Amino acid sequence: MLKLKFVKTLVVASAVSLVAATGALAFPEKSIEYIIPFGPGGESDISARFQQPFFKDKFGQDLVVSYKPGGGGAVGWAQLNSMAGDGYTIMGINLPHIVIQPAQKDVGYTTEDIKAFYMFHYTPDAIVVTADSPYQTLEDLIADAKANPGSVTMSGSGKATANHLAQIRFDKMAGIKTTYVPFKGTGASVTAMLGKQVKAQWGYTTVGAAQGDAVRMLAVAMEERHPLFPDVPTFKELGFDMVGGAYRGMAVPKDTPDETVKALSDMFGEINADEAFRKQMLDGGFALLDVGVDGMGDFMKARKDEYIEAATEAGLLN
Amino acid sequence: MGFEHLANALTLTNLALALFGVVAGTIIGSIPGLSATMAVAVLVPITFAMPPASALILLGAIYTGAIYGGAYSAILLNTPGTPSAIGTTFDGYPMAKRGDGDLAVAIACYASVFGGMIGALALLLLAPPLSSVALAFGPVEYLWLSIFGLSLIASLSTGNLLKGLAGGAFGLLLSCVGVAEISADIRLTFGSSTMIGGIEVVGALIGLYCIPVLIDLVATPERHLKVEEGGRAVRFREGALLAWRSRFNLLRSSIIGTVIGILPGAGGSVAGLVAYSEAKRTAKPGQKFGEGEPDGIMATEAANNATVGGGFIPTLVLGIPGTPPDAVILGALLVQGVRTGPTLFDSGGSIVYTFIFGLFIATILMLPTGLLIGRYAYKTIVTIPKTILVPSVGFMTIIGTFAIRNSISDVIIMIVLGTVGWVLSRFGFAASPIVLGLILGPIAEQGFVQAWIIGEATGNLTGMFFGRPISLAIIAFTVLSLVYPVIQGRRAKKLLEMQAGSNAKTDD
Amino acid sequence: MPRQTIETSSRSGGKDVGTLIVASLFIGLGLITLHDVTTYSDTDSVVFPTFVAYAMIFCSVLVIIASWLRPSRDNGFGNGDWWRRLLLVATMLVACAIMPVGGFLPATAIAFAGGLIAARHEGWDARSAVVFSASGIAIMAGFYALFRFALGVPLP
Repeated sequence: MLKLKFVKTLVVASAVSLVAATGALAFPEKSIEYIIPFGPGGESDISARFQQPFFKDKFGQDLVVSYKPGGGGAVGWAQLNSMAGDGYTIMGINLPHIVIQPAQKDVGYTTEDIKAFYMFHYTPDAIVVTADSPYQTLEDLIADAKANPGSVTMSGSGKATANHLAQIRFDKMAGIKTTYVPFKGTGASVTAMLGKQVKAQWGYTTVGAAQGDAVRMLAVAMEERHPLFPDVPTFKELGFDMVGGAYRGMAVPKDTPDETVKALSDMFGEINADEAFRKQMLDGGFALLDVGVDGMGDFMKARKDEYIEAATEAGLLN
Repeated sequence: MGFEHLANALTLTNLALALFGVVAGTIIGSIPGLSATMAVAVLVPITFAMPPASALILLGAIYTGAIYGGAYSAILLNTPGTPSAIGTTFDGYPMAKRGDGDLAVAIACYASVFGGMIGALALLLLAPPLSSVALAFGPVEYLWLSIFGLSLIASLSTGNLLKGLAGGAFGLLLSCVGVAEISADIRLTFGSSTMIGGIEVVGALIGLYCIPVLIDLVATPERHLKVEEGGRAVRFREGALLAWRSRFNLLRSSIIGTVIGILPGAGGSVAGLVAYSEAKRTAKPGQKFGEGEPDGIMATEAANNATVGGGFIPTLVLGIPGTPPDAVILGALLVQGVRTGPTLFDSGGSIVYTFIFGLFIATILMLPTGLLIGRYAYKTIVTIPKTILVPSVGFMTIIGTFAIRNSISDVIIMIVLGTVGWVLSRFGFAASPIVLGLILGPIAEQGFVQAWIIGEATGNLTGMFFGRPISLAIIAFTVLSLVYPVIQGRRAKKLLEMQAGSNAKTDD
Repeated sequence: MPRQTIETSSRSGGKDVGTLIVASLFIGLGLITLHDVTTYSDTDSVVFPTFVAYAMIFCSVLVIIASWLRPSRDNGFGNGDWWRRLLLVATMLVACAIMPVGGFLPATAIAFAGGLIAARHEGWDARSAVVFSASGIAIMAGFYALFRFALGVPLP
C-alpha cells in the first residue's frame, strides 16, 4: 500500500513538473522499460531495436528492451495494467492480436484495457513465393487455386493472426480456396516456403526485404507500392481491396496520467519523423504509420470492426 | 577469406572482446535460468556503438561460452544451466557424485572446444551448401526427428520402460498447457489465467532436475559430492587422454550437432540428445551410459557447442535464425545495417569472415578459461558446506527462473513441478522422460499437424509421412536405436555364456 | 543424528502402492485431458493431446498390471527427515507468495533461511549462525546486484 502511494506521489510529482515550466524536458528522468511480449528476434523485437538508439540520442535516456513471452503475447498484455503507471514502463502491442485474442477466449485482458499511445508501423501483408516458383503473377496463383481447389498450400505465422486473416479475406475476395498451414512465427513460415514445403507464403513485405532475390512477392497489401519494391503491385491495383497487415505500437498501464501519455506519444512521434529512422524502417521492409494518442480511438475502432468481421466470417469466433 | 580477415579478427580490441565474451558467457551459462539467449539479448544495446564485426565477435563469444557454461551446473548440481546441457546431466552428475567431478568438467571443456571448432569450420568452409539442409527439413522430418529424440526414453529407462513411457506422455501433456503454439486454442489451463503462458521449459528443467537434488540433500547429513582427499589438481591430462580415445565419438557428435544446429526448428537441446542417443547406441561393451560414462558427456557437449557454428549457417546465409540466440544476433545485425542473406558472403564478406575467425578465437580461448573456471567451480561446489550450498542453490533457482520471463508464477510452477518430480522419481518415474516429452512435444505436434494439413491438401497422406527420403532415414535410425540394444544385450549374454562354458575360472 | 530406518514405502503389503497411486493419477490426468479437449474450437489443437492422453492411459494401465504381477522392491521415499524436506519446499513457496507485496529480497530471505535450517545437520551455535547468515546475505546481495543491475531484470 505504502509503495503504491509512493509511486502515485511520484507520478503526480512528475506530472506536475511536466506541466510546469520545463515542458517535455523533465520527462524522462531515468531509463524507460520497453517490454516486448514476445521472444527476441521477431518483427516486434527488431522494430523496437530500431527505435532504441534514436530514443537514447534524442532524449538522453536508455530505452531498455526486455521480453515477456507467452501465450502469443497474452501473458504480457494481461499484466500490463498491474505495472507501475508512471510512464517509465511501456509495452509493445500488436494488431490484430489484441483484438482477436480477447474476442476468442478469456485471456486475462480486454481490448479496451489496453491504453495504446502510439502505433508506429505496420508490416503489410504480402504473398511471397520462391524465385523459381511457377507463379509469376498473382493471376497464376489464382488460376491454379481455381483449377485445383484446396491444393494450393500457403504457410503463415500461427492461426487467427494477421497472416491467417489475410488468407481468409483474400480467398473470399478472389473466390478461391487455398489451404492455410500455420507455423510457429514468421521465420518458420519463411523456411517452409523457401524449402518448398508449401507453394506460397502469406507473409509481410519484411520477408521480401530480408530474402532479396531468393523470393518474389506477388502482391502487397498497401495503398501505394512500397518504395523498396517498385515492381511489386499492390492488391488494389490488381482489383482486390486489401490494405493492411500486422500493426505495431506501444501502450502504457491504464493509470498513467494523460500528460505523461501525451509526452510519450510526442516522443515516439519525433523518432518516427526522423529521416534516418524512416529510412532504416523502409529498408527493412516495414511501412511507417503515425497514429498518436489523439487519433488512437478512431484507428482502433476501425481496425477492430474490420478484424471482428473477418474473424466471424471465418468461424474463428464462436 | 584470406589472411586479412584473420588479421582483422586478431586486433587487440577483438581479442579482448572475445576473451570477455567467453568468460562472461561461461559464468552466465553456468547459472541455471540464465540462458545464452538472455546473455546475448542483454548485450545487444552495448554493441550498437561498435563496428559490426566486433559486435558479432562479442555476441558470438558470449553465446559459445554460455553453451559451455551450462555443463558446470549439469555436472555439479544435476541442473542443466541451459537446455542444451540436459544430456550432460545423465552421466555428468553420476561422475561428480562418485568423486570424478573434476574429470567430468575437464572432458566437458575438451569436448566443447572440439565441437565448437567443427561447427565453426563448417561455417567457414561449407556454409552456403549446408544451408540447404535447413530447407530440406519439412514438417514431417521434424516430426520424425522428435520421435527419434523420444526413442531415447526407451534406452534411458532401463528396466522400467513402461514407467518411462508414462512419464514421457506426462511431459508431452505438460507441453500442451497454455495457448497452443500454432492453433491459438487455450489448453489445459482449467480457467487459470496464470497458466496461459504455458510451462516455461527452462523453469521446468530447473524444477525437475534441481529441486529433487535439494530435497535429497537436506534429508540426510551426507556430503553432496564424494570428495577425494589430498587435493588433486583438476585432471587435465587424464581428461585429454579420454578425449583422444573417444575421438570418433567426438567427431560424430560434432557433426550431428552442426547439422541439427542448422535446422531452425531444433536447436542445442535436440542436438545434444540425438548425439547422446547415437553414442549410447554405438557403445562398446562395458560402457555404462547413465551411470557416469565419460563418453556421454563428450557426446552432448561436443554436439551442443557445434550447434553454435551450425546455427549461424542459416542465420547468415538464409537470414533465418538457426537457434534462439541467433535470432537476437540477427536482430542486432539488422540494426547495424548488415543485411544477411545469400549475398552477405560476397558483398559483406569481410564482416562475415572476420566474425568466423573471431568465433574460432573465442572457441580456442574457451580451452584455458574453461578449464580454469571449471576448476574453480568444482572446488567451490565441493568444498562449500552443505548448509550454505542448499539455500544458495535454492535462491539461484528462484532468481534464475524469475529472470526467464519476469514471472513469479513460473517460479511457483518450477517449485511445484520439482516437488512432483521428486515424488515421481521415488517410484521409478524418472525426470528425464518427462523433460524429453516437454521439449520434444511442441516439435512433434507442430510437425504432425502441418504434415497432416499439407498431406490432405495434396491428397497424399501416406506419401507425406512415409515417402520422403530424409524421413525414411530418420525412421531407420529410430528403429535401429530401439532394436540395437536388444540385439547387443543378447550378443553380450551369449558371449558371457560362451566364456562361462569355456573358462570355468571366470566367476564374475 | 537419529537415522530413521522405517521404510516409508509400501513394502509391507508386498504391493507397490506408490506406483499404483502415481499410475492412477496419470490415468486420471489422461481422462481430464480427454474432457478438456472437447472445449477446443480448432481440431488442429485436439489431435495431439487426445493421442497423448490415450497413450498415457494405456501405459499407466500397463504399469499397474506390471507392478501388480511384479511389485518393485526398491521404491519408496527412503531415509531422511521429512521436516527438513517440507521446510525447504514450504519456505520457497512462501517466498513466492510474499514476493509481490514484500519485495524480492525480504521474500527470498525467508526461503534462504529455510534452506539454511533444513540443510544444517550439525546443530547451531552462535558462531555458525553468524557466519552462515553473513555469507548468506553476501551471496544474496551479490546475485541480486548481478540480476537487477547488470542484467536489468525487473525484480519486484
